[in-house]
Amino acid sequence: MKRFSLKYTLLTYRLDQLWFPLAFWAFFVILTLLLSNEEQDFNIARAYIGVAVPLIGGFMAAYAILDDPAIELRFATPIRAAQILFERTILIFIIQTVSALAFIVFALLSGVDFAPLGNALNLHLAWIVPTLTMIALGTFGAILGAQTMIGSFLVGLVWIIEVIIRDGMAVNNWKYAYIFMGILAPEHPDLIGNQVALFALSATFLFFTWLLLHKQERYI
Amino acid sequence: MIQITNLTKTYGAGNKTVHALNGVDLQINSGMFGLLGPNGAGKTTFMRILAGIVNPSGGSIRVDGHDLTTEVGKHAVKSMLGYLPQELGMYTELSAEQFVDYMAILKGLDDSKKRNKRVSEVLEMVGLHDVAKRKIKGFSGGMKRRVGIAQALVNDPKILIVDEPTAGLDPEERIRFRNLLVNLAADRVVLLSTHIVEDIGQTCRDLAVLAKGRILFRGSPADMLQATEGHVWTLTMSGLEKPNHDLTVVSMLHLAEGTQYRLVGASAESYPSAQLTQPGLEDAYVWLMKQEPER
Repeated sequence: MKRFSLKYTLLTYRLDQLWFPLAFWAFFVILTLLLSNEEQDFNIARAYIGVAVPLIGGFMAAYAILDDPAIELRFATPIRAAQILFERTILIFIIQTVSALAFIVFALLSGVDFAPLGNALNLHLAWIVPTLTMIALGTFGAILGAQTMIGSFLVGLVWIIEVIIRDGMAVNNWKYAYIFMGILAPEHPDLIGNQVALFALSATFLFFTWLLLHKQERYI
Repeated sequence: MIQITNLTKTYGAGNKTVHALNGVDLQINSGMFGLLGPNGAGKTTFMRILAGIVNPSGGSIRVDGHDLTTEVGKHAVKSMLGYLPQELGMYTELSAEQFVDYMAILKGLDDSKKRNKRVSEVLEMVGLHDVAKRKIKGFSGGMKRRVGIAQALVNDPKILIVDEPTAGLDPEERIRFRNLLVNLAADRVVLLSTHIVEDIGQTCRDLAVLAKGRILFRGSPADMLQATEGHVWTLTMSGLEKPNHDLTVVSMLHLAEGTQYRLVGASAESYPSAQLTQPGLEDAYVWLMKQEPER
C-alpha cells in the first residue's frame, strides 16, 4: 500500500510556503539587475544560492510537519513516521532546488562566472549541503521542542552565528560544522571533510527526528 | 474485542505529575459503547490511547488480539480504525469529496475505482452527497462533523472512535448525528465519548463513567438508573429559601406556589414535603459525581 498521493500533497501544501521562497528569489533577481557589476553579481548569486536558500529551507522545514491542521487525523492512520518525514521535507527540498537552479540559470545568462566555486559538482554541493543541513536542523528543532517556533529559532540562530563568525568557523574543529564553507571558502583544504561531516550531521538530525516522530502525543 | 487492563497514563514528572488515567479496566464488545465524564476526566486521553496516538504509561490494551502498546500492534489497530477527534482539523481548501478521498488514500485504499465508490457511499451515508464538490471552508459545524465521520468510515473500520462528536451542534444536527452512530454500531464497535448525558442515554446499551481518570461506573443505563433509586426528590419551596443539606439541585422550575426543585442526594429527610421521584440518567450521573470525592 502506497498511502501517498502527490495530488493531495500539493493541494494541501500551504501557499505561503511557495510565496516565501519566490519572494526571496525575486528580490535577489531584482538586486542582480539593479547592481549590474560582474563582481557584485557573483557575490549576490552565491549569497542567494549558498546562504539564503539554506535559511529559507530551514525555516520552511521547521513548519513542515507540525503546521498541519489534520495532524491528529493523520496520526490516526497507519502511515509510518518515515513517510510523514519524507513526504513533508522532500517538497521543501524540491522547491529550494528549483529556486537555486533557476537562479543559477538566471545568473549564468546574466554573465556571472561561477568558476571561483570550482567545477559544476562543487557549485551544486555548495548549496545542496547547507540546504540539506538547515532543512534537517529545522525539522529536528521543531520536533524536539514540539513547536515550530523552536525549529525556526534554531535555524535562525545557527545561521546568524555562522554568518557573523564565518572566518572563525573555518579554523579548528569548527570547520566541520561550517555550513557555508562550500560557498564562502570554496578553496578550503578540508572542504570535502566539511561536506561529509555536514551530510552525516543532516542524516543524524533526520534519524532523531524520525525517532521522535514515533511519540505522536507530543505533537497534538 | 477491546480488553483494557489496569491502564494508566501520567503526564509530567515530580510534583507536577498529572494522572490522566489511573487503573482503568474495561472490556468493550461490539455495538455502541458510551464513555461519559466531566471535562478533564481523561476521556480524550483514553480515546487517543485507543486510537494509537498516545502511549499508555502502564497497563495493557488488546484490540482484536493486537497489543496496542507495541508499534506493530498500533499499526495493525490503526488499519482497522475510524477516528473522529474532539478538535477536528481539516484541509478546508479541499472539497468534502477530496478530503475523504485523501484520507482513504492515507488509510491504504489504493484501488481508485473501489475508493471512488466507497467515498461516494460514505458521503451519501452522512447526507453530504449533494455538496460533495463544495469546499469544506464553506460548511457549517455540523456539516464539518459529518465530513469527519465520513473520513472515519471510509475504510469500513471495525472500530469507530468518536470523541465529543455532538459538541457545538444544534439540536437537529445532534439527533441526526446520534442516529447515524446507532446505525453504524450495528456491525462494529462504536466508542462514543461525551459529557452530554442525553447523548449516551439515547444511544448506548453499555457505558462507563469516567472521572479523575478512574471508572466510577460500568453497566447499562438501566443499571445506572437503578443505582440512583431512592436518591432523587422533588421539593417545592416558597420565598427565598433554598434547599441545602448536601443536596444537589439538578433543575428548578418557577411555579405559582413557589419554586420546584429536583434534588439529588443521600437523604432529603430534613424536608418532610420532599417527594421521592424516578431518577433520570442526568440524575444518575449527578449522583455518581457526588459520590466521587469520597473515593
